[in-house]
Order: sequence, then structure tokens, then C-alpha cells
Amino acid sequence: MRWGVESHAAWAPGIDTAAQWQQWAKSPEPLAAEGIPDARFLPAMLRRRCTPLSKILLKVAFTCCEEAEERARVRTVFASRHGSINESIALLECVSRGERISPAIFSHTVHNAQAGLFSIAAGNREASSSLAAGPESFACGLIEALGHLEREPGRPVLLVTGDVPLAPTFAALIDEPACSYGVGLLLRAEGGAPCRVEIVPGDALPTAPPWPAAAEFLRFWLSGEPSLLLPGLRHAWRFTRG
Amino acid sequence: MVFDAMASPCCLAALGIVNALGSGERAIWPRLLAGDQSGFCLRDDFVPGRQLLLAAVREPLPKVPEELARFASRNNALCLAALEQIAAAVAEAVLRFGPDRVAVVMGTSTSGVSDAEDAIRALRETQRLAPHFDYAQLEFGGIAEFTAAVVGARGPAYTLSTACSSGARALASARSLLGLGFCDAVVAGAADSLCGLTTGGFSALQALSSEVTNPFSRNRAGITLGEGAAVFLVTRDSGGVQLLGVGESSEAHHMSAPDPEGRGAETAMRRALADAALEPEALAYLNLHGTGTPLNDAMEGLAVARVLGSSVPGSSTKALLGHTLGAAGATEAGVCWMMLDQSRDGSLEIVPHCYDGARDPEIPTLHLARRGEHTPPCAAPRVMTNSFGFGGNNCTLVLGREAVA
Repeated sequence: MRWGVESHAAWAPGIDTAAQWQQWAKSPEPLAAEGIPDARFLPAMLRRRCTPLSKILLKVAFTCCEEAEERARVRTVFASRHGSINESIALLECVSRGERISPAIFSHTVHNAQAGLFSIAAGNREASSSLAAGPESFACGLIEALGHLEREPGRPVLLVTGDVPLAPTFAALIDEPACSYGVGLLLRAEGGAPCRVEIVPGDALPTAPPWPAAAEFLRFWLSGEPSLLLPGLRHAWRFTRG
Repeated sequence: MVFDAMASPCCLAALGIVNALGSGERAIWPRLLAGDQSGFCLRDDFVPGRQLLLAAVREPLPKVPEELARFASRNNALCLAALEQIAAAVAEAVLRFGPDRVAVVMGTSTSGVSDAEDAIRALRETQRLAPHFDYAQLEFGGIAEFTAAVVGARGPAYTLSTACSSGARALASARSLLGLGFCDAVVAGAADSLCGLTTGGFSALQALSSEVTNPFSRNRAGITLGEGAAVFLVTRDSGGVQLLGVGESSEAHHMSAPDPEGRGAETAMRRALADAALEPEALAYLNLHGTGTPLNDAMEGLAVARVLGSSVPGSSTKALLGHTLGAAGATEAGVCWMMLDQSRDGSLEIVPHCYDGARDPEIPTLHLARRGEHTPPCAAPRVMTNSFGFGGNNCTLVLGREAVA
């Protein structure tokens, strides 16, 4: 099926503006691990509740969907491998010491914490999915977003993907580039710059780049290349422009 | 033409289910109908110094196969117990469509947190991680990858985690993947396991009831947590129990409390009815979210009264199964599925609403089902189930079945 990208936005430490991302796409390099975006666009009450990941994902969501009216009306998909797991790990460390759990922190450890914060910040009452699929989180987020478009093709869907490095407690257990990043794509069933996605069965998987899949998609999108093959766990994902 | 706007069948072809009332439809259904609350038990091993009433799964769970040891968590063992019940139907689908055309969408809110608790305790005591602990047990995507490996599915596999609406949302996404043509069958459902983090967290929020949850009573005093799993084989076949409607909304209100007017809940219900092209009076049963917290039941009562009035028989089965959090939406879709599956002439035996009978005058009068209630025979029974989650995430499903002549 065909769909369109109406707008995009991304954030990584030191790579913030559209011009900086254009430059990065021309000569991409691994993204930095540590950094937090300026979140002054959020009311102070909400900002205080934001973890680094929440600031990153809300930043790209607000940049990608600039108009307040549209922000209140889009359906959203938040795709993140780790989500709020670092906050859960911190609470588990409390539990292991026999300490009480902070109720305010607990209610922000749900995987849909960023979706909830976005809904409050944007006054958005629409459908919203939060998901995880290991290194395939971006591609699975995209097909989840297409599912929302399929249910109601007339209105756009905002796909937000991002992560921060896994807490040191468990970081040694996984093999992935440790970086802080967020990528937002505003998708439409019709309109926007057209693209397709297909699943390519088989065991011959392309090599993963040393940055996250969502950043690789953005590099492809900005580069003007005709297609992109991303590795999955059981198959590959092919994106084709046009 | 980009989209096929025609509603195509979405068959919930088989159900696997495990929870505090047992394992499988044959064990669980009669106990649900009887209003059996014997699944609750006191446990003191989750929150230090506090006895908690919980709906734990007490029977032995299957062992995660050696080659999948990195996924060996209690959460995945619960999932496996449910998957084993539909293994034959899923194997047939994998054979019929090919493994590349079978997808997985699972829901969870706890993932393998209980196993991570052990790992962190061991780390604190010995300065090393337990050799059997793997991040795949903890990360949210793990349960979908585990399920794909168990059933031999090679299509897309991902985990929805929107707190207490995760399980309902997994079924909604399964339908979309079929509609989009990314697959021809989906294994979809959810699992959640009791752990120190959620019991401690809800305890800190002062949301837990010291007695069995008492939904919609004026004496209600909170949630009773439970655990379990429910998984479905979802196909484009017609017949059987069908997923007919999905309604979703966000609250834009508060991270851990719903809008007291129930506007988000109302929107989700209205959208589910519109999606199923049904009028409210077409519904034969409503499975309430009914957590037994003061705020949820008050706002849900308002929303139900506005959308459905007071005649549709309803029950909160959390007073029988506990609140299984991320698994609740799939579990309660499973309750609806069993109700439809057990019917032959379209008459439904209604699972009773178990509480102390003390209606809350602050909540609009709803038809809370009594023991032994059933609906008249009907050609096409339709039922609804509500799931509302932390973060303000709502998902309502409509299921139905054509009566067998």
C-alpha cells in the first residue's frame, strides 16, 4: 500500500534543526548517547514530570506537527524499544532495597507515558498506540500507524519513534548503538510525499547501520535515494519512494 | 484506490486463556457463570510487611523450552500456557498461509518485571547479574518475539503496551494488519504477571482494596490485582466469533486518573458502536472496565448511561478474575468470546456482576447482571467490552456471532 509523508522532524544531541539533519544525512555518523532537548515549549507543570525520553519524543512530536489545531486532532503512534524502562529499573532498585515506591514516578513508568503526556500537552483525545518490537520498533510503529490510516483514511497519523540508552544495570546485555534520539513522521493515506513499505521474507538480512532504524529511514528520506532495505528479526523491510 | 473501505470479516477463531479461575474455556466458563470468587488469595511476598489480596494463577505453568531460555519469565510462561491451548489451530494457520504470512500482536504492561526484580536483587547481593537473566525477559517487545518463536510465525511481531488497554488494543491492531494485507492470520492477545513493581505501585497510589474488589458499590474501595493471559487466533474467515468494532480515545486529562465526566470512555464506546454500524440497543451484554476504584466506576457509570442507557446487562468480571492490567482487555474479550461461543440459539448466559449489592446513588443506575440471567434467543448477539488505561488510553471492542441454526 502507498502512503505519504507530510512532514518530518528529528532530534539528537547537537542535531536539532532541519539544516543540521540535512547535513547529517549527507555524511551520517553515530548519534551521541547523552543529551536533553530544550522543552520550554511545554508548560512548567508538565515539563517537571518529563523524563529525558519524554522531552525528546514530545519535542519531535510538537515540531513535526506544528499547528496546535492539527496537534489536537492527529492520531498517534509512539514506538520505542525501551520506553520508560529506565524509570522502572530505578523503581525496581527501590523495591529491592525494601523502599516504598513513589506513586508519581510509578504512573510515569507505563510504556505509553509519552503518549499520555502528549495527549495532555496537545489536548488530544484521539486514538493512540504505544508499542515496542526490539530493533524493529520503528518499522512496526510504521505499520501500526498505517493501521490507523486504514481505519480512517481521511485524517493524518503522527508516528514518533525514539529511545535513550538503556540504564547501566542492563546495558551490557544488549547490542545496539547507545544514543538519545527521536524521529517524528506525519503520515497521510493520500497526500504528502508518497512512499511504500513491504516485508521481504528470507534470511538474507542487510547489515544494520550504526544508528537507529528510524534515523536510517530519515537519512534515506532526505537523501533522495529510491529505496531502503532495513533489517528485521525474521525478515527485511523495504521502503520505496514514490 | 489506496484502501479497501469494505468491512471484511475479522474472526476470533480460537481462544487460549489462563487466570486465577483456571486454564481453558472448559475450566473457566462455568466458574465465571457461577460467580466464583475463590480465585483470590492473600499474599505477603510482593510488598514487604503487607498482606495483599490478589488473583494469582496457582496452577503450575508450562516450562519455557530450553532453546527459548532467554525468554523464560513468568509472564511468558503465562503466555505459553494460553498459547498451548490454541496450538493446533495456530499450526494449521501457519501451514495454510505459510509462516511469513502469520503475524503476532501481543499486549503487556508488566512484561517480565517479576524476573527483573529477582535479577536486581541478585545484583545487589552478589554484584553480578543472574546467569539466566536476559533483557529479552524485561523488554516490552520480548513477549511478541517469544510468541512468534513458539508458534513459528515469521510475519511482523510487536507488543502494544498502553497500560490497562493493551490487550484490547492488540486485537484492534491484529484486525488492522489483516486489513492492510501484511498477513493472513495473527496470533493476538496479552499476558501480565503479578510483581512487586505493580503491587507496590498501586499500593503507593492507595488504589488497592483490602477486600475483594467491589465494583460499582457505594462501599467500593479499590482494585484487586490479578494475573493471566488470553490469546486468540485472528483470521479473515467469516463465521464464528467476530471482532465487529473498535473504538479508541485518549483522555487529555491526567496520567493516572480518568476525566470524572467520562468523556474519553463515552467517545471510545460511541466510536466502537459506529465502527460496528450498531445502535446501542443491539447490544446484549457489556463487560465493564469496572476496576472498583471510586473514580473509574463513577465516570464509567456516567459514560455508560449516556451511551447505552440502563437496560443492557453488564458486569465487571474483575470481581472474579482480578484486574490483570495489560492482560485485562484480552481477558475480558475472552469472557465475551466464551459467552458467544457457548451460545447456540443466540441466547447468552450472562456472567454475573459480583459485589455487595449496595448501589452507589452517585452513579446512574445500570443493569448490573445477577446470577442466572440470560438474554432471549437472537439471530446475531452483540457484546461490548471496555478497557481504560493509565496515561488516559481507552479502547472499546464489539464482538458478535451469527446464531447457529
